[in-house]
Amino acid sequence: MNEPPILFEAVAIPGIPDGGFSLEVAALSTTLIQAPEASGVDLLSRYALGLVRPASGRVLLLGKDVAALPRRAALAFRRNVGYLPAGDGLMQNLSLRDNVALPLRFGSRMSEGDIAGRVSVILGQFRLAGAGDRRPADVTDEMRRRTALARALAFDPPVVLMEDPFDGLTTRASTELLTIARGGESDDGSRRTVFITGQQVPSVVERRIEWRFRLHRGELEHDA
Amino acid sequence: MIAPVAALGRGVARSISRLGALARFFVRTIVAVPTMTGAGRRVAFRVLVKQIWFTAVQAVPLLVILASILSFLVISQAVRELGRIGATELIGSLMVVAIVRELGPLLTAMVVAGRSGTAIAAELATNKVMGELNALEGMGIDPWHYLVLPRFGAAILSISGLIVFFDVVAVLAGFVAVAGAGMTAARYFDIVLASLTFRDVWMSVVKGVVFGTIAGMIPSFAGMAVRGASTEVPIAASQAVVGSIFFIFLGSGVFVLLS
Repeated sequence: MNEPPILFEAVAIPGIPDGGFSLEVAALSTTLIQAPEASGVDLLSRYALGLVRPASGRVLLLGKDVAALPRRAALAFRRNVGYLPAGDGLMQNLSLRDNVALPLRFGSRMSEGDIAGRVSVILGQFRLAGAGDRRPADVTDEMRRRTALARALAFDPPVVLMEDPFDGLTTRASTELLTIARGGESDDGSRRTVFITGQQVPSVVERRIEWRFRLHRGELEHDA
Repeated sequence: MIAPVAALGRGVARSISRLGALARFFVRTIVAVPTMTGAGRRVAFRVLVKQIWFTAVQAVPLLVILASILSFLVISQAVRELGRIGATELIGSLMVVAIVRELGPLLTAMVVAGRSGTAIAAELATNKVMGELNALEGMGIDPWHYLVLPRFGAAILSISGLIVFFDVVAVLAGFVAVAGAGMTAARYFDIVLASLTFRDVWMSVVKGVVFGTIAGMIPSFAGMAVRGASTEVPIAASQAVVGSIFFIFLGSGVFVLLS
């Protein structure tokens, strides 16, 4: 019943040569794995989503080994999870509004009018209301990242996976991004489970993260 | 002595391997059609309409110019030469065999391959380099549904429609050429329509589907085959055009052999 939202079981990554990467991600909290480039940590979210299959070990996301699901089932399952890829992964030929609407158009039975209304509300929440009709190339890094997060949270998922989300952002923007991803606070912790991988995280942001791990000399160290 | 043979063998093996990958890509695209959800179909239809706008509607001015000039040149030369031997009735056969049946579909497919093939390959390659495909998959959106199928469908519909359009413009431009030689409109259209059979019409449709499949599939394959470096984008665009034109000519040859 109390299974962790994400469970890594001896997943092979280059940064941990012995035994692989194992971790139970705690529910309703934020977990950060910091590691240098080429350590393989940047692939952990993709392993969890089944986008890449690890050479050995497995990952359970909300109790499912997504990599083992048939393609169609895997695609449908991923709509239960928010994913912020490295960079931002926004469609360059779409406006910010259409980028946020894209998962709703593909993954829901909402009418076009309902989607437009929902997207307008989301853009307002993410302080993007005035920029909805602009393309990703016409806005700042921070606005792109906020749009990508808005798109990831369009279905209000219980779990959010973020790859290098603070890269190139100011401390203020990074803090704001984390606050939005957590979805608010409750007695049990945050409203969502957030799993972050990255190389550099501002120290102010680090202090707001409950579970911090650092890959050091082939071992995962809990950064108290 | 062995080195050139080995190099040739490697080249042949690479080509066969690439053909196999192209065949797998084609099968994967066809298999993706019935797996689309209702919502996915609606989004793909919107993309399809946009692609038809880029591929067909925006190609109309260029095709009007090409069809007019080609038809005017061929028919004005033919009417002069055939007039000397009193065989101007053969202009109808010439128009149907040379332009409607062969050059119309060939040139139309090449125009689409040149204009839209590069765009499709460059766009898909850029999508991949920018991590957009990865993001789509991560959101539960099949890139085949959102990116490949609409472009594939648009190429087939656009080329089929444009072939008919090219033929109509060519026939009209042919009249301008014969009018200068004193032939009446009624006589000219009688001759042309008498030479045109139902088979010519449906063969044009079949060619549209085959050339559209080539012009949609090869650029999509080239674009999606990029691994992640931005320097691969222009290479993919170049491969798309060269590959499309090669297979369109090959297809045209096969049609001649079969007919």
